[in-house]
Amino acid sequence: MAQRLALQRLLSVPARGSLASHGRAFGTSAGRRSTFNVQDGSDFQDRVVNSPKPVVVDFHAQWCGPCKILGPRLEKLVSKLEGKVLMAKVDIDDHTDLAIEYEVSAVPTVLAMKNGDVVDKFVGIKDEDQLEAFLKKLIGA
Amino acid sequence: GKNEYDLLVIGGGSGGLACAKEAAQFGRKVAVVDYVEPSPQGTTWGLGGTCVNVGCIPKKLMHQAALLGSALKDAQHYGWNISQPVHHTWSVMAQGVQNYVKSLNWGHRVQLQEKKVKYFNIKGSFSDPHTVRGLTKAGKETVVTADNIVIATGGRPKYPMDVAGALEYGITSDDLFWLKESPGKTIPLLMSDVSLECAGFLTGIGLDTTVMMRSVPLRGFDQAKKTISFTTQQQMASLVTEHMESYGTKFLKRCFPTKVEKLKSNRLQVTWKNADLDTEETDSFDTVMWAVGRAPNTKTLNLETVGVKTNSETGKIIVDASEATSVPHIYAVGDITEGRPELTPTAIAAGKLLAQRLFGQSSELMDYDNVPTTVFTPLEYGCVGLSEEAAVQRHGSDNIEVYHAYYKPLEFTVAERDATQCYMKMVCLREREQRILGLHFIGPNAGEVIQGFALGIKCGATYPQMMKTVGIHPTCAEEVTKLHITKRSGLDATVTGC
Repeated sequence: MAQRLALQRLLSVPARGSLASHGRAFGTSAGRRSTFNVQDGSDFQDRVVNSPKPVVVDFHAQWCGPCKILGPRLEKLVSKLEGKVLMAKVDIDDHTDLAIEYEVSAVPTVLAMKNGDVVDKFVGIKDEDQLEAFLKKLIGA
Repeated sequence: GKNEYDLLVIGGGSGGLACAKEAAQFGRKVAVVDYVEPSPQGTTWGLGGTCVNVGCIPKKLMHQAALLGSALKDAQHYGWNISQPVHHTWSVMAQGVQNYVKSLNWGHRVQLQEKKVKYFNIKGSFSDPHTVRGLTKAGKETVVTADNIVIATGGRPKYPMDVAGALEYGITSDDLFWLKESPGKTIPLLMSDVSLECAGFLTGIGLDTTVMMRSVPLRGFDQAKKTISFTTQQQMASLVTEHMESYGTKFLKRCFPTKVEKLKSNRLQVTWKNADLDTEETDSFDTVMWAVGRAPNTKTLNLETVGVKTNSETGKIIVDASEATSVPHIYAVGDITEGRPELTPTAIAAGKLLAQRLFGQSSELMDYDNVPTTVFTPLEYGCVGLSEEAAVQRHGSDNIEVYHAYYKPLEFTVAERDATQCYMKMVCLREREQRILGLHFIGPNAGEVIQGFALGIKCGATYPQMMKTVGIHPTCAEEVTKLHITKRSGLDATVTGC
């Protein structure tokens, strides 16, 4: 919902009936395209390590309270960037080996990855301003 | 050739992980293999062993859920406006508990990584005295060789072999803690610490619960438990079960199950023999939970190949005072070992001390005497040292003095709660310095109360010293420092507060 409205604001499309439904489809698919759940190790290799675009990787867990706040917040800001940055979500219980490989200890841990390398990282919850700065640095650098 | 690791630990539970992490501290190359065979009902879990996943942790949290239910009832008397009856939603509790357990699984994984302990999620078995092999979940074979090997594979709940339908339709504690939906009307069978604790919290959260027992309070169901366990405490056991009965748990005494069948409604019908009335009875339940003891996890280890001896009756691994098995470089700690308590703290301590002896030039052995324990039934029972029966057996009834008291926790007064079973007793030698041999406490927070006194007993505290110890007021624990009525005197042991 927030993604759809944010996208509509960017496109200056009024939230009317038919346009709203058109906007919803467009908003959701754009959101879906820029955020995805990592399926397995080779999926991570394909869509994150080998990604032509920079990727933020959100390591999270079902049992982690702060993750439930950070996740949607980060997702919202990433979708605002219209595909300049992608977001990969990794559930550390489902992908423990991958999380260990990337030296995750506490969650949430967010990595900024470019050309297969970890170029930035933070642990714990951040507010919108901090996240925007984090994303800006990733695109800009 | 040379072995790849200095130490391989088979089993990532309380004992195994403690041993591995301690050995790693000495800069040794250590590996841990852990694997959870799914229960017959398909339940499985992560790293950390029984305590973390299907034992102490979820048990205590669910016990707490039940205690909070009682507190809500008491709260009205203290002025809180809470509409009765209060309802409990299993799935909310279960999710909270299961999420916490998962965070512990993760924490253990991270700790191994941080301490540079190599971890393999494989079902290991011996192929020779220094080699363990197993398949990963992906089917890849992994071989691990080590100079020293510690077996810490623990145990799993037993199923009764003489009850038709037991395996197909019954669950165990392995499954209970991972249920997503309420177990409903449940019958834990048979009498044991596990069944009483489970029955206790199931009743506490409002479920119709019946415990079945073969004979009146407790005959030792586990001969291997050498420490003074709940089962040898006739008096304490009666008090705890009496309280549970008044609390709402049903007890079927002198009954034993003969079969379990599934009804068209998908409920389960249990048939049992009532030994007193010599009749056969049935009732239907939503869940049948077996708690008939635990069996050691040795079957798939291939111990015969390497010559590790086990006890023919219990199947547990025989170890000496240094946790060594019959094979020189192979050791064992925790629930898998014969004659040891099935407790997390003793497994952890034994594991750590073993690592210190192997790699740290220590010669300190694990002291299994005076290990304090607590059973987390609705009214908890905590104890340390000898039971009255064991003291009598060891010293003769003329040489021991038992001081006891029935007390009432202050918090029960305003709440109008029945304190009939709140009781404590202290077993002492009668002569010379009157050393305290054992302390037994039934009441709220029994574990917290007994912990401090365990230090006293370890230091050889005496009755006169206890009498010189000033109590903290107003608490239940202070009554321990005031114990003065002896069983021998035959006087009424009810004590009052101020």
